Amino acid sequence: MGITLRKDPIDLFFSAVTAVAACSVIAIILGIVFVLIRESSLAIGKFGFFAFLTSTDWNPVTESFGAATTIFGTIVTTVLALVIAVPTAIGIAIFVTEVAPDFLKGPIGIAIELLAAIPSIIYGMWGLFTLAPIMANHIEPALQSTVGRLPLIGILFEGTPMGIDLFTASVILSIMIIPFTASIARDSFNLTPAVVKESAYGIGATKWEVVKNIVLPYSKVGVFGGVVLSLGRALGETMAVAFVLGNSHKITSSLLDAAATITVTLANEFTEADSDVYLSSLFYLALVLFLMSFIVLAIAKFFLLRAEKRYGR
Amino acid sequence: MTVEQRRKLENLTALVLSTLAAAFGLFWLIFILGDVLVHGIGALNADLFLSDPAPPGIEGGGLRNAFVGQIMITFFATLIGVPIGVLGGTFLAEYARGTRFARIISVLSDIMVSVPSIVIGTFIYALLVRPLGHFSGWAGSIALAVIMIPVVLRTTEDMLSLVPWTLREAAFALGAPYYKVIMKVVYRGAATGILTGVLLSIARVAGETAPLLFTSFNNNFFSWDMNGPVASLTVTVFQYAMGPFEEWHTQAWAASLLITLFILAITILGRAIIKWRYRS
Repeated sequence: MGITLRKDPIDLFFSAVTAVAACSVIAIILGIVFVLIRESSLAIGKFGFFAFLTSTDWNPVTESFGAATTIFGTIVTTVLALVIAVPTAIGIAIFVTEVAPDFLKGPIGIAIELLAAIPSIIYGMWGLFTLAPIMANHIEPALQSTVGRLPLIGILFEGTPMGIDLFTASVILSIMIIPFTASIARDSFNLTPAVVKESAYGIGATKWEVVKNIVLPYSKVGVFGGVVLSLGRALGETMAVAFVLGNSHKITSSLLDAAATITVTLANEFTEADSDVYLSSLFYLALVLFLMSFIVLAIAKFFLLRAEKRYGR
Repeated sequence: MTVEQRRKLENLTALVLSTLAAAFGLFWLIFILGDVLVHGIGALNADLFLSDPAPPGIEGGGLRNAFVGQIMITFFATLIGVPIGVLGGTFLAEYARGTRFARIISVLSDIMVSVPSIVIGTFIYALLVRPLGHFSGWAGSIALAVIMIPVVLRTTEDMLSLVPWTLREAAFALGAPYYKVIMKVVYRGAATGILTGVLLSIARVAGETAPLLFTSFNNNFFSWDMNGPVASLTVTVFQYAMGPFEEWHTQAWAASLLITLFILAITILGRAIIKWRYRS
């Protein structure tokens, strides 16, 4: 539907201005990559491109830095958050699309989406003052005395429960991403043609059988895209975890230990970095985080577009 | 157990579980909002808005500097980000409609919407704070603007695409050049939608903390100077909540309550407008 009516000089000018504005997105992305590579070149040069990623050192005194501990923290909190959030979110989506009576569908959907509107700093502060003490005094001791007794899994729950640890951070993170996953899952569920569902009901299927055999297979690509999108969001979440993770640079086997993620390290140490190598290493962390989340989000977008194309509205 | 009984039992279990999941989600919403409300409401007083922070550990004082700073930073971010976003969205939905270029930018914007905001903070730090040698309110505004651009661009594109193509054809038939069609017909048709997009993007950045940590930083004193460090509510909440003083914690709760109410109000307003305008 492109149109070629460019005789008017003002029109030419206006189209050029809008084109420049549209290109700003590309300029920002290239700018971020270029600037972060330039700023981190000192650290890349000193520690090596791959050696930095696998080194567990993080010592501002001896100026020896590596990303392994923070990448570890980032991945553990993200994965654990997804483990809690994904089943819940899909349950919510099933409830909102199939189970809830009509007068409840709208309000519950909106309420869940309001969870997504609450700023992450509020989650962080609530986590520090309210959730962390509850975790330390009730939930974590309870976990230790039940699943903590089991062989192998028990290793995950060793140590003194302080509430400032990987587990609490993951729980907060999961509450934050539930709404994203749930609303995308709901939208994907809604793309299932009503006729197909009705035919299934017509031959006597129960609600759960319709969901399991009709809705889920129909929407799996979209739901998967939503899960990956939530993964991308969780990777880059800063303030919600900054309060309750403790920013401690170590790889631990227990979920009840303090740790650090890339975002938490940046938030806590960026303005305190007193040497060039230190700052450059932090820029390198930012670059790693940007590339990680950009790739994950691109994959999510790819699946969401495919789902949309296949069952497009 | 017969097959029918098993199917019914399976069905019941699944439905109960999904209801529990919804209750679980609502539980957190009520827990968090309720907690912020309970802690925050007791801490609200006139001093909070009218006076600047007292020295650490001393009773009293308020967050006037942070309120003013937050408004300044958000205002200028909107002033920078919204025009670029709206114009960019116009290009995608009008001049470049249906082209591969428009689709690529559209997809990249969708990705940029979810990119970690703290990375934007480090980017602007390297670009504007380090070369100039000091933190500044402008750097904070620009960091927020960078976050706003893709959001506004995408909503503008979507809203303009909702305006029926035949409306444009009617204007073309009268001999109007494309820019006039966009200004007089398309923008008018989509005005409510674009405004909602702008509202939601303000809600999005007003709660941002991470990109401000290294750009506008924080300032314990009242300041109109966008060339120097400027306090913001969100960064103040971070600093105060992590700090050792009870008084700071109370004020952080009050600030959290106000941020939350502001953002929820805008979000609900935005949704209400969309629902009212695009009911079909």
